[in-house]
Amino acid sequence: MKDGGLENKKELENSKKQSNSSKFRSKSDDFALSIAKVAVAQVCESIGFQSFQHSALETLSDVAARYIYTLGKTANFNANLAGRLESNVFDVIQGLEELESGLGFAGASDVNRCLANSGVVRDIVHFVGDAVDVPFAYDIPRFPVVKDRKGMGSFWEKGEEPHGEHIPSWLPAFPDPETYATQSTVGNGTMSGSNGVKTGLVRVEWKVERPLLNFQQQFARNGNVGDSSCGGGDSTKAKEASNSNPYLAAPLHFGEKEVDVSPVVLPTKLSNEVASRDPIPENRFLGNQVSVLETFATAIEAMKSGICEYDGSRQKNVLYNQRPTVHFKIGIGKKSLNSAPYFISKNKDLQKIAYWFENGNEKDDRKRRAEIFSKESMECSHESVKNE
Amino acid sequence: MNPNPQSSDGKHDDDSALSDFLASLMDYTPTIPDELVKHYLAKSGFQCPDVRLIRLVAVATQKFVAEVASDALQHCKARQAAVVKDKRDKQQKDKRLILVMDDLSKSLHEYGVNVKHQEYFADSPSTGIDPASREE
Repeated sequence: MKDGGLENKKELENSKKQSNSSKFRSKSDDFALSIAKVAVAQVCESIGFQSFQHSALETLSDVAARYIYTLGKTANFNANLAGRLESNVFDVIQGLEELESGLGFAGASDVNRCLANSGVVRDIVHFVGDAVDVPFAYDIPRFPVVKDRKGMGSFWEKGEEPHGEHIPSWLPAFPDPETYATQSTVGNGTMSGSNGVKTGLVRVEWKVERPLLNFQQQFARNGNVGDSSCGGGDSTKAKEASNSNPYLAAPLHFGEKEVDVSPVVLPTKLSNEVASRDPIPENRFLGNQVSVLETFATAIEAMKSGICEYDGSRQKNVLYNQRPTVHFKIGIGKKSLNSAPYFISKNKDLQKIAYWFENGNEKDDRKRRAEIFSKESMECSHESVKNE
Repeated sequence: MNPNPQSSDGKHDDDSALSDFLASLMDYTPTIPDELVKHYLAKSGFQCPDVRLIRLVAVATQKFVAEVASDALQHCKARQAAVVKDKRDKQQKDKRLILVMDDLSKSLHEYGVNVKHQEYFADSPSTGIDPASREE
């Protein structure tokens, strides 16, 4: 078994098997593998086993899956060899004989045997006769689920005339101009690149704060249907798009429109948290289920307490919003860090988000906003001063 | 001349037996579900609209798994018979038949599948203990 000369061959085979196994068992196959595990466990239970080791069950189910796969592959190969596309019962029997040839079956040495009364089939017949009918434990839906993709209609289907003679009518039609006219791609100044079509129909002027504002508004809106975010270009389609997808909403010029959104009502639990200054264990307990706004809200409340101490310190991106209750603040001074130790981790997320939108430097606007911001914070910081 | 009709009759018998068997397969529900078999057959390129073939593959796989499992069971029982201990705990545990990696690798080896299992990972206090007694 362990020859000196054969060891290298085995290693080669093992490495090949590993590469094959990585292709066979992909991440998308997890569902099928788990079903196989259940099926194999049921079979083993009918044999007489009472429990399994996890690794043993996984190995056996993997082997069973490979058995099916190899059987299918061999049957397909045999069918193709005979010049057929669809496999036959005889192809399957030939595949079975090939798999069973390691152990041997009755009549294997018979050269002139007929496939129909092959020993393999007889064994299976015996097995079916003896075995207890144990159906599978669960109801399985058809898988993998194939999504019905609604293809984009061609010019011909839509009844449109292509823009030029060089465009054949069977190609998919261009999207409607309204959809990309007021489209706001978040985080990037280049808009026409996403469509690849320069019709020159609409031009949207870009400022850095706009995607920031939109993002902030979507955060603050918290699920309300955003009909107030439509700035310029009020076509019905844009409105529909913005209603369904806030990221397609028209971008606002800075300070252009009064955003009419109801103020955020912090859950009492969180506001109590801030008041009691004991946020750490509860935040951790909530874990991933805390909505983004709530996480930011606690951070914001903590921030507000530290606002009065420093004024105009280094602020990378002050996101200004009409509603004073929600403030995003990225750059923070040292004092607030000391007072809210958990804030460090939150700050990283905020910094990440700020980094996404950071584009260009417009310091005049920022300074102006910082002044307005500080003024407003002076006005509304009543509770936090008490706590501090 | 005479043997030919005989052999052809024999072939007809075999064919009929096969077709009867395939028909009877539809009554028997194999433990391995059809959807799973269909998935893996589709993955391998097997094309056949006939449901009976899929049942045949399912039954064949079930037979294969059953054979491997029964071999592993025999190995397990042989090991339990070999272990002679007077402790009552062991006797009670003997009644529990657990599919262990060792037995599985031995039985799979006869079918041409080489499964090698790690002896132990040095990451927990219970490493290096006899695997039969370690409850996983």
